[in-house]
Amino acid sequence: MDDPLLIAGRELRSRLITGTGKYPSPEAMRDAVIASGCELVTVAVGRIDLDTVEEAITDYLPEGVSLLPNTAGSATPEEAVRVARLARAGGLPDWIKLEVIPDPRWLLPDPLGTLAAAEQLVDEGFTVLPYVFPDPVLQKKLEAVGCAAVMPLASPIGSGRGLKLRHAIEIMVEQAEVPVVVDAGLGAPSQAAEAMELGADAVLVNTAIARAEDPAAMAGAFRAAVEAGRAARHAGLIEERETAEASSPAGGLTVRS
Amino acid sequence: MTVTVNGRIQETEVGETVASLLDRLGLAAKYALVERNGEPVERSLYGETALADGDSLVVARPVAGG
Repeated sequence: MDDPLLIAGRELRSRLITGTGKYPSPEAMRDAVIASGCELVTVAVGRIDLDTVEEAITDYLPEGVSLLPNTAGSATPEEAVRVARLARAGGLPDWIKLEVIPDPRWLLPDPLGTLAAAEQLVDEGFTVLPYVFPDPVLQKKLEAVGCAAVMPLASPIGSGRGLKLRHAIEIMVEQAEVPVVVDAGLGAPSQAAEAMELGADAVLVNTAIARAEDPAAMAGAFRAAVEAGRAARHAGLIEERETAEASSPAGGLTVRS
Repeated sequence: MTVTVNGRIQETEVGETVASLLDRLGLAAKYALVERNGEPVERSLYGETALADGDSLVVARPVAGG
């Protein structure tokens, strides 16, 4: 099925975006990225430790995979804008996964700070993909300032609890003018499929793959689930019913009076 | 002449640039993202951005993240 994801004019064949964090090794990360079939992976930006020679994560990424830098570690819009500027000046793509997260316990994003940073970064020419709580009103405001996609969380980062605010995300899908990418909290391929079935344009998965016993195999499972969920969305799901409706002829061979 | 790199005082040589400092510290310029006195430095200018006494540099790079 020729059904590319279109973000800011760029066509992506895969609707699965993966993170590069939390893997047991960079080799495991590379194998999982290959198995996922994804074309976009997130990276963070961190200070270099001058005392240790760390391996460069980007050396392990397969050819053809693009980086989506994030602003992780930013508690304020100013910090997020600083990270984005540094990343772009240093030669990373001008696509930015915008995260403004003041709260270390639940890792929930600051809606007002995210909106302020998004407006600033769009103004500076970045392609901005903000990570947000699933708030349909905030979604429209982010679209209005020019965000290229909106990325609502399924449940808190790393929790693996799945779509806890399904109805809010359904509203976002229904009214979306830019792609809705469900990001964070998807713990199982079935949950990714559910997000795609309800009409999400893509999903972003990190922990559920990286922390699996076999990350590459789990990446393949998520890939299949995302494709299945997308296909099901196109195929048209049946309406739920209160009662049974037989799939076979009612009578059988026995004549009932 | 000294500059600060990620909070650490670093002696520099005459004519030191961002590129030559990265090289001398063994930091692969290929990955380095550099902020000088709070302003990001364009990669294309690493070789011609001369450092001044007292400059404060932050050197970062892409790391694993979600």
